[in-house]
Amino acid sequence: MNSKFINELPELVKHNVISQETASKIEDYYQSKEQNSPNRLFTVFGVLGSLLVGLGIILILAHNWDDFSRFTKSILAFVPLVLGQLIVGYTIFKNRSATWKESSGTFLFFAVGSSIALISQIYNIPGDISSFLLTWILLCLPLVYLLKSNTLAMLHIVFATYYACNYGYGYLNMGKTPWLYLVLLALVLPHYFQLLKERPKSNITSIFNWILPLSFIITLGSFVNGFDEIGFLMYMSLFGLFYNIGKTPFFNNGKLRRNGYLIFGSLGTVFLFLWASFKWFWEENYHPLELTQELMISLFLIVLTSVILMYSYSKRWVKGFNLIQFAYLIFAVMFFLNFGNHIVPTVMVNLIILALGLVTVKIGTDKFHFGILNYGLLIITSLVVCRFFDTDMSYIVRGLLFVSVGIGFFVTNYIMLQKKKKLISQNQKL
Amino acid sequence: MKPLHLFSIFVLVAIAQLFIPSQMILGQKKILSDGTPYKFITQPIDPSDPFKGKYIRLDFEISSLATNDSTWNRQEDVFVVIENDDYGFARVKEVTRQKPEGKDFVEAKVSWYNAYDKELNLSFPFDEFYMNENKAYDAEVAHRDAQRDSIKNNTYALVFIKDGEAVLDNVFINEIPIADFVE
Repeated sequence: MNSKFINELPELVKHNVISQETASKIEDYYQSKEQNSPNRLFTVFGVLGSLLVGLGIILILAHNWDDFSRFTKSILAFVPLVLGQLIVGYTIFKNRSATWKESSGTFLFFAVGSSIALISQIYNIPGDISSFLLTWILLCLPLVYLLKSNTLAMLHIVFATYYACNYGYGYLNMGKTPWLYLVLLALVLPHYFQLLKERPKSNITSIFNWILPLSFIITLGSFVNGFDEIGFLMYMSLFGLFYNIGKTPFFNNGKLRRNGYLIFGSLGTVFLFLWASFKWFWEENYHPLELTQELMISLFLIVLTSVILMYSYSKRWVKGFNLIQFAYLIFAVMFFLNFGNHIVPTVMVNLIILALGLVTVKIGTDKFHFGILNYGLLIITSLVVCRFFDTDMSYIVRGLLFVSVGIGFFVTNYIMLQKKKKLISQNQKL
Repeated sequence: MKPLHLFSIFVLVAIAQLFIPSQMILGQKKILSDGTPYKFITQPIDPSDPFKGKYIRLDFEISSLATNDSTWNRQEDVFVVIENDDYGFARVKEVTRQKPEGKDFVEAKVSWYNAYDKELNLSFPFDEFYMNENKAYDAEVAHRDAQRDSIKNNTYALVFIKDGEAVLDNVFINEIPIADFVE
């Protein structure tokens, strides 16, 4: 991109758009910027290389070389570990570049895992995967801070998620809750906060803005112990929390693609509302209110989200009423008041989805954002598709609904396109 | 923080990283050298682990036993007192919730209690025997074939037991180590 821009400079000078002096300054600026920035590509390849070598070693050792004696195999188990430690030790001692830190840290991460796995293999120690993962993650956690390594922090989150899934999901793990997962994530949060503080707009921070909420979404279900129906409330509260975090100016003022919280929050809320737009949802999820673990988690998430929302209002970050920011609360009230009447909540949910779709379309047109506009239309379409499966609605009504939504797509996009063209021509005249 | 300080902390981390696998080895070695060996009659089947490789899961004959006591809960930790039968194979003497004194025992988990058959199913902590990836499936087949040739099950796991802990040393078919048998 920069080199393309620099190539254009002689032409701009030739046509007297900029002076020769300005052109030289621009060139100097980009050259100095390139020299100062670390070679990101080299770091990425270094990390990928270490990742592949590390995983490869695990697989090679997993082959189980039974020609070797137990002693030889035990020694072999330590070779990658000691090698990784020597490289990491050297990197820290000599304070080498980020590329060194990221690559050596990644290699050591997998070396630790492979050595524990191999010892378990040699001595036939069964142990479940979750306890193995926990030992592995904890042994490598200090490296995140010692090497200030983003890759290790990401690996930590990915493997902590794996641990939580392995511990909490599955028929055999009924009644087990991976509370330690929360501790594991809390331990990596200082690194994330530092990234948010120091490099809020960098790509690596954006990746964390996506994988952290994703990890919570994947694992939240493992905190459900028997009272599955309250799982819906838990997830709705979590999506509400994410949406409201994503709406804080810190995340909301940046680019949308950097805001995983907002996107997950919005998509999740809409998806769950669509799920709840069927009558059977309210028939099946009728339950007596007991203070279960699931309910406690839901209440905690609801209170936390409400605190963030109130704080946002007090700081005037939010003006007016945005339905999707309150969706979690509306859902919670309906959920708690569901004492047998299924018609009222079903109708309400359908109206809310319609309102959500219309509000999103309006935001899209106000902002001249085709993406948001079509997302709003997609919400309405999804609602119509869901109603398509409700057989008790007349075919004519359903057909008309589809046709009108289809026309809506054309008309709104066309109107906005015209508006945009008008705006561009007005700007050109000015 | 200065590189030297960081390095000092790293040395501690590295020691911990070395300590855990070393401790695992020493613990297992002690049981293998000082423990009492028992032969557990078993049936192998062949699954795999993403990190540790292929293994044969051992389905022990004594993991299900008849009892009228129906108070056992799933996943409950229990102590299983082991003794040898007349043929020199391990058998369950008693299952208890209290730690036994002066007897060889292993810690196990209750899988489930079958109220209809009045049968208690146990899960022993030494039911995975890791093998070369090319031999694990062959081992399962070899056991099946060996079964066909004789009336009694002739596959057993040699397990060393000490103070409630157990280490699976090897699996034998017709007194030959399973890895050699399949070659």
